[in-house]
Amino acid sequence: MTHSSSRFFVLLAREEDLPRTGRLAASLRLAPRGARRLRAPPAPMLGGRWRGCPNPGRTEYAVPLRAWLATSLALTCLLSAATPAQAAPPPSKQHWAFEAPRRPPAPEVGRADWLRHDMDRFIYSRLEKESLEPASEADRATLLRRLSLDLVGLPPTLAELDAFIQDASVDAYDKQVERLLASPHHGERWGRHWLDAARYADSNGYEKDLAREMWHWRDWVIDALNRDLPYDQFLVEQLAGDLLPNARQDQVVATGFLRNSMINEEGAIDPEQFRMESMFDRMDCLGKSILGLTIQCAQCHNHKYDPLSQEEYYRLFAFINNDDEHQAAFYTPEELREREAVLHGVREAEDEIRRIHPDWRERMDRWVKEENRAQPAWTILEPHEHGDPGGLSKLQLQPNGSLLAGGHRFTNGTWRIRARTRLEGIRAVRLEVFTHASLPLNGPGRSHQGLFGLKELRLEVASVVDGTKKSDVAFADATSDFAEPLKTVGSDGDEKSRRSHGPVKLAVDGDDRTSWTIDAGPGRRNTDHNAVFIAREPFGFAGGAELTFQLAMGDEIGCFRLSVTTEPGAAADPLPRLAREAMRVAPELRSVTGSAALFSYWRTTVPEFASFNQHIDEIGRRHPDPLARTLVLSWRSERRPTRLLKRGDWLQPGEAVEPGVPSFLHSWPQELDRTRLGLARWITDRRAPTTARVIVNRVWQSYFGTGIVSTPEDFGFQVDPPSHPELLDWLACELMEPQIQINLEKKPQAWSLKHLHRLIVHSATYRQSSHFKPVHLERDPQNRLLARGPRLRVEGEIVRDLALAVSGLLEPRIGGPPVYAPAPEFLFRPPASFGAFPWKEATGPERYRRAFYTFRRRSTPYPVLLSFDAPSGDTACVRRSRSNTPLQALATLNETVFVESARALARRMLVEGGPDDASRLSWAFRCATGREPDALETLRLLDLVRKQRNRLADGWLNAAELGTGSNLVPMDLLPGATPVDLAAYTVAARVILNLDETITKG
Amino acid sequence: MNCQSHQYRGQDPGTLTRRWFLKDCGLKIGTLALTQLLRAGGATAAPPALGQVTDPLAPRQPHFRPKAKRVIYLFMAGAPSHLELFDSKPELVLRNGKLPPAELLKGYRAAFIDPNSALLGGKFKFARHGQSGAELSELLPHLATVADDLTILKAMHTDAFNHAPAQILMNSGATQFGRPSMGSWVTYGLGSEANDLPAFVVFNTGPNGTSGGSSNWGCGFLPTVYQGVPFFNTGEPVLFLSNPRGFDAEAQRDSLEAIADLNRKRLGIVGDPEIATRLSTFEMAHRMQTSAPELVDISREPRSVLEMYGAEPGKASFAASCLLARRLVERGVRFVQIFHEAWDQHANLVENIKKNCLDTDKASAALVRDLKQRGLLDDTIVVWGGEFGRTPMVQGGDNGRDHHPNCFTIWLAGGGFKSGISFGESDDFGFNGTRDRVHVHDLHATMLHLLGFDHERLTYRFQGREFRLTDVHGQVVDKILA
Repeated sequence: MTHSSSRFFVLLAREEDLPRTGRLAASLRLAPRGARRLRAPPAPMLGGRWRGCPNPGRTEYAVPLRAWLATSLALTCLLSAATPAQAAPPPSKQHWAFEAPRRPPAPEVGRADWLRHDMDRFIYSRLEKESLEPASEADRATLLRRLSLDLVGLPPTLAELDAFIQDASVDAYDKQVERLLASPHHGERWGRHWLDAARYADSNGYEKDLAREMWHWRDWVIDALNRDLPYDQFLVEQLAGDLLPNARQDQVVATGFLRNSMINEEGAIDPEQFRMESMFDRMDCLGKSILGLTIQCAQCHNHKYDPLSQEEYYRLFAFINNDDEHQAAFYTPEELREREAVLHGVREAEDEIRRIHPDWRERMDRWVKEENRAQPAWTILEPHEHGDPGGLSKLQLQPNGSLLAGGHRFTNGTWRIRARTRLEGIRAVRLEVFTHASLPLNGPGRSHQGLFGLKELRLEVASVVDGTKKSDVAFADATSDFAEPLKTVGSDGDEKSRRSHGPVKLAVDGDDRTSWTIDAGPGRRNTDHNAVFIAREPFGFAGGAELTFQLAMGDEIGCFRLSVTTEPGAAADPLPRLAREAMRVAPELRSVTGSAALFSYWRTTVPEFASFNQHIDEIGRRHPDPLARTLVLSWRSERRPTRLLKRGDWLQPGEAVEPGVPSFLHSWPQELDRTRLGLARWITDRRAPTTARVIVNRVWQSYFGTGIVSTPEDFGFQVDPPSHPELLDWLACELMEPQIQINLEKKPQAWSLKHLHRLIVHSATYRQSSHFKPVHLERDPQNRLLARGPRLRVEGEIVRDLALAVSGLLEPRIGGPPVYAPAPEFLFRPPASFGAFPWKEATGPERYRRAFYTFRRRSTPYPVLLSFDAPSGDTACVRRSRSNTPLQALATLNETVFVESARALARRMLVEGGPDDASRLSWAFRCATGREPDALETLRLLDLVRKQRNRLADGWLNAAELGTGSNLVPMDLLPGATPVDLAAYTVAARVILNLDETITKG
Repeated sequence: MNCQSHQYRGQDPGTLTRRWFLKDCGLKIGTLALTQLLRAGGATAAPPALGQVTDPLAPRQPHFRPKAKRVIYLFMAGAPSHLELFDSKPELVLRNGKLPPAELLKGYRAAFIDPNSALLGGKFKFARHGQSGAELSELLPHLATVADDLTILKAMHTDAFNHAPAQILMNSGATQFGRPSMGSWVTYGLGSEANDLPAFVVFNTGPNGTSGGSSNWGCGFLPTVYQGVPFFNTGEPVLFLSNPRGFDAEAQRDSLEAIADLNRKRLGIVGDPEIATRLSTFEMAHRMQTSAPELVDISREPRSVLEMYGAEPGKASFAASCLLARRLVERGVRFVQIFHEAWDQHANLVENIKKNCLDTDKASAALVRDLKQRGLLDDTIVVWGGEFGRTPMVQGGDNGRDHHPNCFTIWLAGGGFKSGISFGESDDFGFNGTRDRVHVHDLHATMLHLLGFDHERLTYRFQGREFRLTDVHGQVVDKILA
């Protein structure tokens, strides 16, 4: 449908993209009565009978027949004349999309010769009803190009085209399908859709929009699709891979799906507020991408149209509201092996001690009794004020009295904590630092390695009764369970630049250039620690004292707790917390991990185990030290309560709710735990009404432009009738319980997405020619009925990949960190960007990676992809616009990568294109479009080249500049080729790369 | 060379090819598709029902006769202090250094500071200006000269007090990312009257970029054609506008003609109207290669105009962008938004706010005056304002203020707003609005009203429901309508 005129932007609009019009209302009237009655009452959200903006009733404002009709290019087009299918539900509380799909029988149709399998019957039967005929099959070149663009997102090479065209075997097409499905690029092509739905980006969003490492999750998606991980398992691992028994690293990485939410690191934010924002985002994503339900309405109130109550929203919310936002190390396969070897080696060595010393248990018990005696009593302080004095960063008080950092991250800042105590004669202060799953690698610090540096701990004590009585506490000594050895950096001669770190005494030496640090090396650095600071004089006030601590830090401490004692002789507890907790209970009551921790510590205290201990220490040093990180979910053992939030406001918590699922969907199986894993199992249950329908609909949308349900994000009561309701159910059932066998000797597995792809691309429906006939424009301009094959401009990423592939520049490497593709540098500096962002433009082959790998910065979307409708990743997107705008033309004509591609294609023409202008032009044209140009087209290009040659000869154009973009005369051309050839072909190559046909799946 | 080429030896290849293509080969411009489409359109389109105008940017009539046709929004990102610029509070000055009344702080959250921090008196003198007697700070001498054209809203309030969410709320009606911006809503509703320029143009001029980033002018779930297009007033005015190195104007024209001819031929065979659209978008792109550089070249503006704005040709500035905004709306652009992110005065309040006013006051006033002189102010809404206000409590020593969502000031001009009024009052501290408070949603509803829309009916169906700029809120503020 559409349009065009002298307006600036024009797109091939979908019906739903345009302001609603009276015509649409008319087409709605064609829908069965029930379908309309089911729409919820309009007020106040709906604009009367007509859902859009301008008022159809006010004809005096009707747009006059405009000048656009007079222009030679003016086109108007009827809105969809194809009436929606007669698939409306009966007017009851039932809604077809909320009932589990049941496999409908494939309809009997007349043209058995046209059909390839049952899927075609559904299409044909509808065409029959509309008295439309399917189109003939597309030619082989068109088919292979379509297939390649659909299955791997890249055009076929000429060799691939020739091989297919010349292949006379009956399974020639099948072989191409299998070749492409087995290509590692298949995961990139289809992964992109999932990344849209999962709002993937490489930055955190909001104001700071710092880079994040999320690409391991992205690579997991590619890999999962390439190995055809069944879709149910694909979802289970992403929603709850960490909760699977003996979860592998890749299954934990998969949970990054929900973590794709934005993270606000703006100064002075409340971390809890933005944790809740990301929870709402996760619910929205779950609804759009998996359930096909618009659940986010119920964040604030009961859903207006679907039977989802606000309480049910928060019950669903409760399933995913029990995690810490974890940043995990990512181990390469080799590192994983090394790590496993270390853990195994330590276990073996400890077992060896137990074997050689069978009396170890008694000896350890004796030691425990002794050790338990001499612990001072500590009083944990309850802070009434905490945070950084400037207000940039906030701390959250945890139930165990510790303070946890979140939000804005800083270095060289200070935590200020105020607490009151009635104790007098306080002799020592204890600082415990704790690991926490929300800190990088568990912390206890917030550096990339989860570390911190405590420069100075200062304490002021004031009388609560008389505020003028106050003094600074001086510390005589400090001990810690662990510290790095003293290390000094900076030049000896320059006192100012010298920095020391290591022993805990550096934290009370009055010098901010020295700090206590705790890096115990890979595998051992992310543990709890404690330090005790001994006051020179006991302190405290009768009637109570206000203690004001200042913790000056380099890298920030992420989680800590302060305690005091009045007992003399306090020192840091050398025992790990787990071991200390274990020894406080009787041996038979100790947990397995507690016992293990206790043993591991105890053995280090036994002199005769020295050689064992040394051996174990050496094994430990082999622990790998991965640099890579990835964001995952970490399930909390102590459940975080979920409350219904009044009006969706996190500051107005209401009733507590238990995890549960909406009653209008399938019931909860009793055997499932009410955890994220249980939720994932419930979502992938065979009885789930929307899960399979939603994914087959999106796959369909990608092939044919519009889904069977035109709103892939919403299958609720407001949904427009599907174009082929039975087909939707048939496909959903065929995905879950495959019966049709194509190309495979064995039966396809359940939930196989590759099976779904095979079904579609093997169909006669898919293989039709995409040429338009007048009847198509009149009856079905959007091609919902599929009386012709799909003809669609490819997605933005593929527009670019096509240019790179055709020019031979494409670097096809799969996976890895995102790429800083060429982009105008000023976009990443103020005022275009809030802060400066380091965009180190890739050089060498990396520059020409697929657009799939281009770094996605949320606040600075990559301009070419933005203009070609790629989403920013702020929220889940399951349906892109497909616009057609002048900005796109400017990009493909003038943007760096496209121009470099044109120049590279010109070079290829000289090398591979044959002996003369005509053959080279024809060769390049075929590379780009898949077909030979006809005589007229060749002539047109020849004339273009001839004119450029003339202008080059006359000096109007500079051959070096045109052909290379620089003043340097190209020296490395083949013998016989001239810079003028290269320049003239550059002009022609750019034309070829800019053809509609080149960027269109035909 | 091709077999037929001998027939045309010696002729200009450009005309030759075109003529040959169009005539000798018997190919008409997309003959099949065009006639089909025109007939289809013509048969039912005399006059066309509104519904048939499906060019997403075709000008459209709103719900009722509009007062305003376009908007220029000067977005003062970072949040200017109302207490230094618009809202004179003698009591606050008197209580400088004292703690605020406890009842004021009940349930109040501040971003950075302990709310119970000392009050900080306004730092600048105020005076009344114009016949309307609008009270303005000494920092705004130029604005004072157009005081009678302004509608000053002194009891604005918002829901968010961190920059990114508050900017997103002010621009899209929601604190969560992903909603369409006001500019894209307006363009969606009204279409465009610019032939060779985007409908919604954005400038960034401050020392920083905005906290909300490109979502401030994004189109959310609306079609991509409605998103704001950033313009730059140095270098290329629009990304990728210039020909690649080595291509002169004629080589570019040759290339575009070849692309058009080949696309046209394909259209004749395939019949896909999308190809016709692509033909026109390439034509428009080519036109824009001329029109955009012309637009941003302010060197031919009269000296007096340049001086009035304080703009210098070739120099990127807020002033130059204001002048360009006027030039853009003259050419039919629907919505221009200038983001000047500079106003986050947690510290160095006095020095930085002075500098910001030097950078913006003259040009903002000039824009109002210039539009008025040209008869454009009557149907152009000008908005000046940030995302929230600043606390009457001090941050740091004695020269900074924290974020404050409860009360702040913005001003409007033209477009059917009642001029020469100050609307709304705040308490003695500028802490809470006490009379005629206007929420962000109300501002949006009122602006849409002047643009001819019932804000509850300018909707877009997404995710099974009708979304709108004002979500489920918003009251048109009748009292500020002319």
